[in-house]
Amino acid sequence: MTALGEFALWIALPIAFWGMVMGFVGGYHKRGELVLSGERSVHVVFILLVLASLGIINAFLTDQFQYWYVAGYSNRDLDTYFKISGLWAGQRGSLVFWAVLVAFFASITVFQNRNRNREFMPYVVGVLQGILGFFLVVLLFAKVNPFEQLGFVPADGQGLNPQLQNYWMTIHPPVLYLGFTAFTIPFAFAMAALLSGRLDSRWIVLTRRWTLLSWFFLTNGVIFGMRWAYEELGWGGYWFWDPVENASLLPWLTATAFLHSVMIQENRGMLKVWNMSLVLLTFLLTIFATFLTRSGLIESVHTFAQNTSIAFIFLVFMGSLFVAAVILIVYRLPALRSENQIESFVSREAAFLLNNLVLLGAAFAILWGTMFPLVSEAFTGQSIAVGPPFFNRVNLPIGLVLLALTGIGPVIAWRRATGRNLTRNFAMPLGVGAAVSIAFISLGVRDGYVLATFGLSAFVLAIVAVEFWKGTQARARIEGEGYATAFIHLVGRNRRRWGGYIVHVGIVLIFTAFAGRAFEVEVRKALNPGETVSVASPFGHVYTLIYEGISSSREQNFDRWVALMTVERNGSPVGSMSTERRFYRVNRQMVTEVGIRSTPMEDLYVILADVEDFDGIVANDPDAQRIVVQVMVNPLVPWIWYGGVIITIGSLIALWPAAEVVRRRRVLAVEEESPEALAGAASA
Amino acid sequence: MKNGRFYVGLVGVALVVTYLVWTGISDSMVYYLTPAELLAKVEQDRSFHGVGVKVSGKVVSGSYHKGDEDFVHLFQVHDIEHPDVAFPVVYRNVLPDTFTDDTEVVLEGRYGEDGVFHAKTLLTKCGSRYEAAPADLAGQGTAE
Repeated sequence: MTALGEFALWIALPIAFWGMVMGFVGGYHKRGELVLSGERSVHVVFILLVLASLGIINAFLTDQFQYWYVAGYSNRDLDTYFKISGLWAGQRGSLVFWAVLVAFFASITVFQNRNRNREFMPYVVGVLQGILGFFLVVLLFAKVNPFEQLGFVPADGQGLNPQLQNYWMTIHPPVLYLGFTAFTIPFAFAMAALLSGRLDSRWIVLTRRWTLLSWFFLTNGVIFGMRWAYEELGWGGYWFWDPVENASLLPWLTATAFLHSVMIQENRGMLKVWNMSLVLLTFLLTIFATFLTRSGLIESVHTFAQNTSIAFIFLVFMGSLFVAAVILIVYRLPALRSENQIESFVSREAAFLLNNLVLLGAAFAILWGTMFPLVSEAFTGQSIAVGPPFFNRVNLPIGLVLLALTGIGPVIAWRRATGRNLTRNFAMPLGVGAAVSIAFISLGVRDGYVLATFGLSAFVLAIVAVEFWKGTQARARIEGEGYATAFIHLVGRNRRRWGGYIVHVGIVLIFTAFAGRAFEVEVRKALNPGETVSVASPFGHVYTLIYEGISSSREQNFDRWVALMTVERNGSPVGSMSTERRFYRVNRQMVTEVGIRSTPMEDLYVILADVEDFDGIVANDPDAQRIVVQVMVNPLVPWIWYGGVIITIGSLIALWPAAEVVRRRRVLAVEEESPEALAGAASA
Repeated sequence: MKNGRFYVGLVGVALVVTYLVWTGISDSMVYYLTPAELLAKVEQDRSFHGVGVKVSGKVVSGSYHKGDEDFVHLFQVHDIEHPDVAFPVVYRNVLPDTFTDDTEVVLEGRYGEDGVFHAKTLLTKCGSRYEAAPADLAGQGTAE
């Protein structure tokens, strides 16, 4: 099985290149049979990459430690989940995983478009197979072959890093990678539009769902990563501005910009060059993120590999793609001319453009800060670093502008907003926002950023609420429906719009949660059984934790010590919680598992900072129970996860094909059977 | 309205972001040094004691011990290229799980007049733990 996997990689390489050549040549010479061959090659490469992935998973499940990759990331006693997730635990497997996901999406795309959009498909196939070919070359020739053998069979593997032995390991990386790889499809269509010369909004309409799907996975991937980092001690909380975290945020920022700017092109025929540039930039950033995470080029607490040998190859690949795309864009400049001009600074176009500029500004600042140690060393010979203070300082004002635009963008008029449009839409929400800020000032909050965040959040929520209310009310009146039915029909009629509004609500919750960080409370104390530690929540109540004792046990892959606490809120018991230390025997490493007790407004977060006498506890010595804990109250943190759930609901509503869209698509498919459509469909 | 005026807006946003980045960097940048570089700098210029720096080095094997109070950790850090260049470090916080007597660490803090590095943050660099070197495995190998 595993040997077959390696064989599959070697077969996939020439087939990918065959498909690339067939796509480009078939498209250029309008030869349908060549295009068809290229399209079939996509499915073949997908199947081969599935075989390679199964080969790796099989090697993990059957403990084949003669493979370097398996020996480095697994051991006999490792949980089955983590053996399966071995596919993306390290650089080598990650590359295969990345490629198989791209091939999966490529295969779906080819299938969906077997009778449609024939003018794009040859180039789409060419671009996708070219990208897959590159990854296969790297896998097979850049000393990162996951099937490389050691030449001997170790008795046991080195084990997976204990910090990665967390259930998020099975969720966060795949979701993030789905986001990265799904964006390959919009990129391929954009390049196909440039190559084929069909430069109207068609490619954008076709890839709208793909972009949204990619964004949906990216958002969830980033939020899952935040949750994981929040639970893992030593990763600096849910966001630390660590290079790897930043790398996943960069494509998210540009993809968000793209998601908004395509609406201007669809509605007003503007920003065509801008959209091409954004799609290129986002795609390059997804590759950059994959590569930065797995190359060890920049120092990070999350860098799980030290192999910098592929850095150069990746830089050359990204550089060539960049140059080729820019040449194409310049060549097609006449056809990319804007059909309209921006008429006023006070218009939806302007608001969207500002949103784009600000998102790009944030991306630029974050990229700059992340690369600064490398850049400064290259130019001055002296490495200079910037940390979280830099990123917070730059991104706080940027974030506030974005937050405001979350409310302004959806309701401001296209072309030129009149005074009446502005008063009608913004007067009341501005009042609500101001009232909320004033309320917090009267409660004694003096931090300007916190007040602005709370005020703007209320402003945006008021705008969205009013929009939903107006829409529902109008529909209920016109159609004579009940309010609940009217609401459901309203959302169903224009899923993208209302789904988008719901996503904005989720974003607002997350911003509010960030501001909650200003109110964190922290207490540290050494405890013997029966002793208590108290911590006052910013919401006014007091938590008291009573230390009940610590016990030890031996698990499959680790030894554990669990400290148990009873929790009281204002003196009345509300439950218990535990925090623990684990010693992973194979890795010879200690891991702290924090205890989290979540309520809608705040988390009680307990760290077992120190254990006085591990062996004494194992020996059941009653005098060896002293521990040291750090207890924190983290206000509003749960809102990040609630915001994530709301974003998911909103994205799914926007992604779900509306009944009209399905009907329209059938009509479109018939229209597409025009003589100018490529021969591919005919020859099929 | 002509697009020309719009480019003014565009340049405006770009300037604001550049300003934020510029002031952000000059206010929060820290030198990133090796222990040897840090000691050389301090020798050159006594005022460097007060400057916040980031230092990467290796914990001296066996040098770690707990302070008298909880949350106080004392150890020595040496230069990776010049193992004889070392200085004592005091760190008052929860140690990361990956901290051992043998790890590479990145410290942020100040090198005090007292000759002790007062670390505000401590990160561990643990490449070797995340990815095994085949050489480590050779010892436990069995013939194929």
